Amino acid sequence: MMRRPSKKAKRYEPEDYAITIEKLRKEFDGLVAVNDFNLRIRKGVTYGLIGPNGSGKTTTIKMLMGLLRPTAGRATILGEAVPIKDKLPCIGYMPQDMAVYFDMSVHENLQLFSELYSVDKEIFEKREEELLKVVGLEERADSLVSQLSGGMRHRLSLACTLIHDPEILFLDEPTVGVDPELRVGFWGYFRKLKESGKTVVMTTHYMDEAMRCDVIGMMRAGRLIAQGSPKGLIEKSSTKNLEDAFLVFSRGVM
Amino acid sequence: MKISRVIAIARKNFRSLRHDRRTAAFIFVVPLMMMLIFGYTFGGDVKNISVVIVNLDEGFMNESFSWSIISELNDSETFKIVDIYTSEDISIDPVNKSIERVRNAEIWAAIIFEENFTSDAIMNIGSLRQGQPFVPSGFTLYLDRTNPNVGAAVTGELTKDLQLLLILKYHLTPPVILETEMIYGEDTKFIDFFAPGIMGLAGLLVTFMLTIVTFVRERSSFTLERLLTTPVTEGEIVAGYALSFGILALAQSTVILLTGILLFNIQIVGSVLLALLIIYLLGVGSMGMGLMLSSIAKNELQAVQFVPIVFIPSILLAGIFWPLEAIPELLRPVSYFIPLTYAVDGCRSVMVRGWGIEEVWIQVTVLILFALVMLLLSTYMLKRRK
Ligand SMILES: Nc1ncnc2c1ncn2[C@@H]1O[C@H](COP(=O)(O)OP(=O)(O)O)[C@@H](O)[C@H]1O
Ligand SMILES: [Mg+2]
Repeated sequence: MMRRPSKKAKRYEPEDYAITIEKLRKEFDGLVAVNDFNLRIRKGVTYGLIGPNGSGKTTTIKMLMGLLRPTAGRATILGEAVPIKDKLPCIGYMPQDMAVYFDMSVHENLQLFSELYSVDKEIFEKREEELLKVVGLEERADSLVSQLSGGMRHRLSLACTLIHDPEILFLDEPTVGVDPELRVGFWGYFRKLKESGKTVVMTTHYMDEAMRCDVIGMMRAGRLIAQGSPKGLIEKSSTKNLEDAFLVFSRGVM
Repeated sequence: MKISRVIAIARKNFRSLRHDRRTAAFIFVVPLMMMLIFGYTFGGDVKNISVVIVNLDEGFMNESFSWSIISELNDSETFKIVDIYTSEDISIDPVNKSIERVRNAEIWAAIIFEENFTSDAIMNIGSLRQGQPFVPSGFTLYLDRTNPNVGAAVTGELTKDLQLLLILKYHLTPPVILETEMIYGEDTKFIDFFAPGIMGLAGLLVTFMLTIVTFVRERSSFTLERLLTTPVTEGEIVAGYALSFGILALAQSTVILLTGILLFNIQIVGSVLLALLIIYLLGVGSMGMGLMLSSIAKNELQAVQFVPIVFIPSILLAGIFWPLEAIPELLRPVSYFIPLTYAVDGCRSVMVRGWGIEEVWIQVTVLILFALVMLLLSTYMLKRRK
């Protein structure tokens, strides 16, 4: 059988990357949470970080958001070294914990974040309507957050992240506690984000979601153990699904 | 600094409070309760009242009633005699000089014995025997009755000493009427003296505690972290907090003032606006202090523990219930480190003495510095958290 000559990989310029990470490291009192890894995420890519609990996904994102100071290494977002300042308005961050104000209504939470990002009032009203539909809270705009279910709060948190229409999204387990039907809706929306050229970095536990990402990075004990397209990773590990692929790559490290 | 973001943060704080009825009630009900409870029950023993004596009494024969009274005053714990002027000091115009010192609130009273004090008293003994009251001529008391308790203590002690003298020398017990010139606080009731203290105390405590509660909640619900990933800066967060809690302190003081006027008929001599400005500065400063301390604290419990640490010295040593002179000498320097001391003193001087900014600029300056330092420190502490 003839092998097609392998196409030479396209070379990317620095400005093609939304995020670059170089030997980033974080230690907590001797515990190495993130262990010197390099990573580049191109603009417009939907990138999934997967790995078991405690593998360092949240810590990595927090360092990128300037919430934790790296022990060593460096990272850039849209060319600005972290902790970024100028590019903050282009970033949307959904923390793993439901960081919304419980003693305010859904609408008041969204309004607060829109004001912090200096979103125009009219644009805000349009986006609020649209986003409430996406997260299935259009009936609850005036409800106090403390009266919502856990899943609803999570969805509000996502809506707050998206209110200013950011270029790059960091979503830390955005679909936890979201029922399957809404998850389908979420993914419809994520696809729309991708089509409009947004970069999405998310962490997830659900392998079916990971399959929908353009690129996934597998993390284990603070290291990146494998990276590639979901299909590519399955092929490379000669397995049938991502779970098995993860196990194969894990063995390689240990 | 972007004003719209500062306002967004301030509005968030108000909105959170609006949905939290219990806290809102706390802001307004607590100071009113304090006013009721303390206002009616607190008499308080006053000691060490600083006075100046001018003794120009020439005596009569070998008698000098003034010196016997002065030696009684000297022995009493009520007074602290700062200076005694005699006829030898006549060149410095001791009478007017002493009155001036009362006016400047350096001392609470000036007690003046004139040349004819003893001789007039002796001349009058006859009429006293016929049951007339003793109205010593050649005697004037210039009194700052801003604190009615102090006023009562001064007149009480002087009356007692005069009576003692008459009993010892002549076995007479006539009623004694003192000629008193009120420099300040002619109609002051204890509640008038007390209301500015409550305004200050409530302004300090409520902003301080609410800041701690709000901020601790902000930390434990991770919204603080989230705020810090938006374009809002640490300075804007602090400014937003200062705006909201400063306004809250103002609203609270206004309610205290209105109830004071309506329910207790308190008298306000000076500018209400100036008094409110003082409270506002105090509110902003204690907000900053709350923000700073709760970002130093490792957890909620630690943060809450700062409340009594601030509360206890403020309530005891800031001169709310009794004048600073009544505070043990050892602790008095502490009083001057408590911002509330300046707020209460400033507010009281404005409301009861009718002083303007020319007279309370020191208090106002201290409070401005307090507010600025706290705002800067809390911004720094927030930045350091990252
Ligand atoms: N603030 C912290 N202090 C100490 N250890 C931490 C802290 N945050 C995370 N860790 C530790 O770092 C490791 C990675 O955690 P994390 O990044 O949250 O993992 P993941 O998000 O992949 O579940 C874990 O072992 C966790 O216990
Ligand atoms: Mg995590």
